[in-house]
Amino acid sequence: MFHLKIAMMAIRGLRQNLVRTMLATLGVIIGVGAVVSAVSILEGAQRDILGRVESLGADRVLVFNGSERRSHRATQVSSLLPEDADKIVEENPKLILSVSPQYNSAGRTKYFQKNATGVILGTTESYAKINNYNVKHGRFITREHIRGSAMVCVLGHKVAHDLFGDLPGVGKTVKINGKTFTVIGIMEERGAIGFVEVDNQVIIPVTTAMGRMFGARYLTMLVAQCQNAEMVPACIDGIKKTLRASHRIRAGENDDFQVFTQDQFKQQLGQVATIFGVVLYSIAGISIIVGAIGIMNIMLVSVTERTREIGVRIAVGARRWDILKQFLTEASVISCLGGLLGVVCGWAIANFLSEFTQVLQIYTPPTVIVLALVMAAVVGIISGIYPAIRAARLDPVQALRYE
Amino acid sequence: MIQTDNLYKQYQMGESIVHALDGVNLSIQAGEFVSLTGASGSGKSTLMHLLGCLDRPTSGIIRLGGEVVSNLTDKQLATIRNQRIGFVFQTFNLINRTSAIENVLVPLVYTRKSFSKKIGRDALARVGLEKRAGHRPSEMSGGECQRVAIARAIVNNPQLLLADEPTGNLDTRTGEQIMDIFHELHASGMTIVLVTHEMDVAAQAQRMIQMRDGKITNDAPLDTALRNELLSGSVPSHEGTFQERIERSSPPRPEMLVPDPDPQT
Repeated sequence: MFHLKIAMMAIRGLRQNLVRTMLATLGVIIGVGAVVSAVSILEGAQRDILGRVESLGADRVLVFNGSERRSHRATQVSSLLPEDADKIVEENPKLILSVSPQYNSAGRTKYFQKNATGVILGTTESYAKINNYNVKHGRFITREHIRGSAMVCVLGHKVAHDLFGDLPGVGKTVKINGKTFTVIGIMEERGAIGFVEVDNQVIIPVTTAMGRMFGARYLTMLVAQCQNAEMVPACIDGIKKTLRASHRIRAGENDDFQVFTQDQFKQQLGQVATIFGVVLYSIAGISIIVGAIGIMNIMLVSVTERTREIGVRIAVGARRWDILKQFLTEASVISCLGGLLGVVCGWAIANFLSEFTQVLQIYTPPTVIVLALVMAAVVGIISGIYPAIRAARLDPVQALRYE
Repeated sequence: MIQTDNLYKQYQMGESIVHALDGVNLSIQAGEFVSLTGASGSGKSTLMHLLGCLDRPTSGIIRLGGEVVSNLTDKQLATIRNQRIGFVFQTFNLINRTSAIENVLVPLVYTRKSFSKKIGRDALARVGLEKRAGHRPSEMSGGECQRVAIARAIVNNPQLLLADEPTGNLDTRTGEQIMDIFHELHASGMTIVLVTHEMDVAAQAQRMIQMRDGKITNDAPLDTALRNELLSGSVPSHEGTFQERIERSSPPRPEMLVPDPDPQT
């Protein structure tokens, strides 16, 4: 009851000095707010990327062109051939269900006056199956289209919408980078697969893309689907063996390709997140220290300004502990209030940015809120303790005479 | 009520040592109204702080109601200040940010018992300010502020009221009002020690103690004749001539005379 009264007195004191109280909390608000918003954005981004990585599937193995190291400089090496896809399936029948070769480029698709710009993906019929990504209208490209380098395309949902609106698109003729293609299918709405927004994508046979369209020899990547997630390590061994043989790499030489799995992506992501986290928390630590100094400053001013009041309180029977508690409570209330407001502000800023950019995802982990509040409370006590001790140590006779 | 034995108080002021109190022997009975006068630097404030348990003597003993208080702990002194002593200051020393009633209730917070605001209102009523309970010090006149300060001093019903120049910051008429309150409190049985250098204020007490250089130089009861003389202003200074006036108007009672603390001088 008595402690409550001291606390109430401290809070009332702060309310009566509202402007100063708000100024004192500002440091903590900014510090905590910055941390909460930054962590929210970082955590949101991490979750977004993680979600995308997971949408690749745990049973998937991605193969990219490799790099070559020559005297400190790494250069990109193109090595993946279209026929590697079939070889991998043929040589590892028990491990790998299917492989889709992919050749990515960008291009503009035109239908009369309407335009759509996006990814042009050259692939095979296995692409739809591997990604469980189906056509809504018409049909997907077939073996025959591949074999004949047919001038056919399947449009992503948004591309079709941009070009045809609500009208049916299947059977129409469009121009992709000036070349004439027949639309044979339109995909369902899907959003993103991995890091690609597939609704903006135009799919054509890989042979058409590499031959007639872009004149390329090497693929961008291969996506292999294993029998199940447990077999992924064995699949990787199989893929490496096939590719090394196909690319005629001798024993002792390095691979000219890179193999990635979902787990590897996650690990790399974890490393990046750790680095960001360290940077972020260092900044947070500094701003919290700045906030603490701000509170200590204000509290010292407050003690000096209220020297007489302290004298009077001692004269009417306050113990030194009571004075200490009063000022310590004030400092704690200031910083906890700052912490609370900081959390609210940080959360609001993060959400505003998310709304504003329409890209950022926000996730505010409960732990960061708890951590921020605990930090604020600790800061309050630490920064309040010196001014409070100074107040409690005042000589009442001197304090009462203080001008 | 109050008894001091050979009270010394020394301060270190830079290189030199200031003898603020230089062997004070004093006895004040319960219910007395004593005025303490002297030039500035005479030690009267120091004495008041010691009697008020705000400070400790360098040597000597202070008894309050028979209990030796000069060697108590800080905590015990805080309790004594809270429950047995009331302070009134020249500059009121109210907390400006809070209302009159809040100011009056401050000592009760440190009594560590639950209390009702009624106690505060009763104390304000005793000084005639019950209607100003919600006003802040900045909204009140000096006299009203001092009355709030008195209400604060008496809210815990102390036995001893110590007032340090309570009329020093007030005009004569307001000062008189304040003195009326002191008379009423005295009539209700409170022991009052009033530090002042204004003769007409000092003259209103039952007994007047005069200090100089840390020593009590005069200590005598005030009878009507002397009081009138002091009030009429015919005493030009409170030093020197005061002794003669006392001797002329009433022979000093032997127990009231202070023995010379240092016979060599």
